[in-house]
Amino acid sequence: MLLELKDVNKTYDNGQPLHVLKGIDLSIDKGEFVSIMGASGSGKSTLLNILGILDDYDTGEYWLDGKLIKGLSERQAADYRNRMIGFIFQSFNLISFKTAVENVELPLFYQGVSRSKRHAMAMEYLDRLGLADWASHYPNEMSGGQKQRVAIARALITHPQIILADEPTGALDSKTSVEVMELLGRLNREEGVTIIVVTHESGVANCTDKIVHIKDGIIGEIEMNDLHNASAFGTTTIMK
Amino acid sequence: MRDLFVEIWESIRRNKLRTCLTGFAVAWGIFMLIILLGAGNGLKNNVRSSISDAQLNYMTVYPGFTSKPYEGLKQGRYIELDAKDLELTKGKQFASTIDEVAPVVHTSGVSLVHDRRHVSTDLMGVTSLYNQIRPQKLVAGRFINANDEAQKRKSIVLSLSHVERLFDGKVDAKGAIGRKVILDGLAYTIVGVYKTDMSMMTGDSYIAYSTLESIYAKGKPDLLSFTFHGLESEQANEQFEDRYRAVINRHHRAAPDDRRALWISNSFTRSLQMDKGMNIITVALWIVGLFTLLSGIVGVSNIMLITVKERTHEFGIRKAIGASPWSVVKLIIAESVSITAFFGYIGMLMGMLGCEYLKVKLGGPMEVMGESFTAFKDPTVGLDVAIEATLVLIIAGTLAGLVPAIKAGRVRPIEALRAD
Repeated sequence: MLLELKDVNKTYDNGQPLHVLKGIDLSIDKGEFVSIMGASGSGKSTLLNILGILDDYDTGEYWLDGKLIKGLSERQAADYRNRMIGFIFQSFNLISFKTAVENVELPLFYQGVSRSKRHAMAMEYLDRLGLADWASHYPNEMSGGQKQRVAIARALITHPQIILADEPTGALDSKTSVEVMELLGRLNREEGVTIIVVTHESGVANCTDKIVHIKDGIIGEIEMNDLHNASAFGTTTIMK
Repeated sequence: MRDLFVEIWESIRRNKLRTCLTGFAVAWGIFMLIILLGAGNGLKNNVRSSISDAQLNYMTVYPGFTSKPYEGLKQGRYIELDAKDLELTKGKQFASTIDEVAPVVHTSGVSLVHDRRHVSTDLMGVTSLYNQIRPQKLVAGRFINANDEAQKRKSIVLSLSHVERLFDGKVDAKGAIGRKVILDGLAYTIVGVYKTDMSMMTGDSYIAYSTLESIYAKGKPDLLSFTFHGLESEQANEQFEDRYRAVINRHHRAAPDDRRALWISNSFTRSLQMDKGMNIITVALWIVGLFTLLSGIVGVSNIMLITVKERTHEFGIRKAIGASPWSVVKLIIAESVSITAFFGYIGMLMGMLGCEYLKVKLGGPMEVMGESFTAFKDPTVGLDVAIEATLVLIIAGTLAGLVPAIKAGRVRPIEALRAD
């Protein structure tokens, strides 16, 4: 297993203890295209934070690529995030005063890759995502779909074990949403990238091969969705 | 390194106005520091140069009043130096320390006459050594020399203002050399003219000690100066002074440890004390300058705090994609040091230009009430101060950036997920 959660618990204590994750068990294998679906307050964001090593958990075990992710120092956590996880965010989270290519370069900068090498790599990834002409544009000069594709290039550039996408279509219109989900599906099929999409939209979840339902901090049904017909809203559109 | 500067430049470029305003406070602080230290150096150099006109270490001995009863004599008795004191001073017991002795006799209120014009002056009978101990600024001719002394020549050295008055301004300093003036019915040849400064008002007239002694039958020196060597520490000087005082006091039947019966002014310890005083001034100026700088530093710190707050989301993103806390801390501290150093150097440059301006305007003698007067000499700072100020800037920039940087380092990567 590439990724394995064993009885993971997380309690937030803001004056009043709030048990958010109540024993999560989850395994995801290499090359899977999975969505984690749940309503707001279901604990999916907390789960995402833990999967992305952005937050620590209280009890249980989280294994990622054979490494136990627990009680890491900030520096170690940053290093693991950098090398093992690629993030795609709802609001793109590109740095506004850096050009597209500089944004894509950034994870390599934190790996200490030389200037010319990381620039060449970033250009290559932008080219693959059809954005070579936009390399020197700033994020505010690009459309939502272009921005998300820059963000995907940034997530891919370090060859991470998993791509974590947090509501990747949340800020996009339905047409662009379809394009982005198709792009993620293609990356998964053609390059074997492991992708975990966290969403509350069934249409988005339907694009993935496996749907993990989370409710009230517990994993519910795990739906196999190889035929992409789980959604009641049809198979070709993403219902907004 | 280059990437770091690119990042800093990107950040500063977005906030030009506020960076410049804060930078101004830093520049002002350093400017004031440099100006203050420059002025302080000017004062110091001036004092040093007036002391070091006399290259020799010397002591001057003045008689005073006894402050305690001794051998049945009451206190408050006036001591007069006499020929025996001169003999004692030149004697064997001090020979290892004292080099040359210069007695001075002093007659006040004599009249100099030339062609029915006269001026009143104080007459000093001195030896050639006197000019080495207390150099007069000769503008023409020479000072009293050994030949004047040995032959009891009637040579006289006058101040420039006296020459001007005696010759009604018709003769300049050079022209006065070789001319005769009448002093108490005797003709003296002018051999030298010196310029007075503010501290000496109109000035005394000098003739040879031996001449004055024989003409006025004054066998007693009014004060004694002597050069010395071999007293390297303050303690050694004090010990010698005590030993010397005891000998002279005993001769006048005053208590050997009576410091008021015999005043000893020591150029060596005086310059030591002067140095101490000057160092205190320098320290005080540094403190004032640093406090001025402090307000600039607080400004930078403030601006960095705002920057960190504005960039919280960005730092969250950076951390999410792999920035270590240290890399973020480094970014903020480097930005703070860059702002401080850049504007600090502008301030330093301005300060140095300001010092040069001071040097031109106030660096030389100034005319105050017709007398020349020097307050500052070379009021500039050297490379040492520039290096010290650079260190101060780097330390100050680091301190200013420290709190904001730690704050930035603590930004949690979860911030990146907050949609705003």
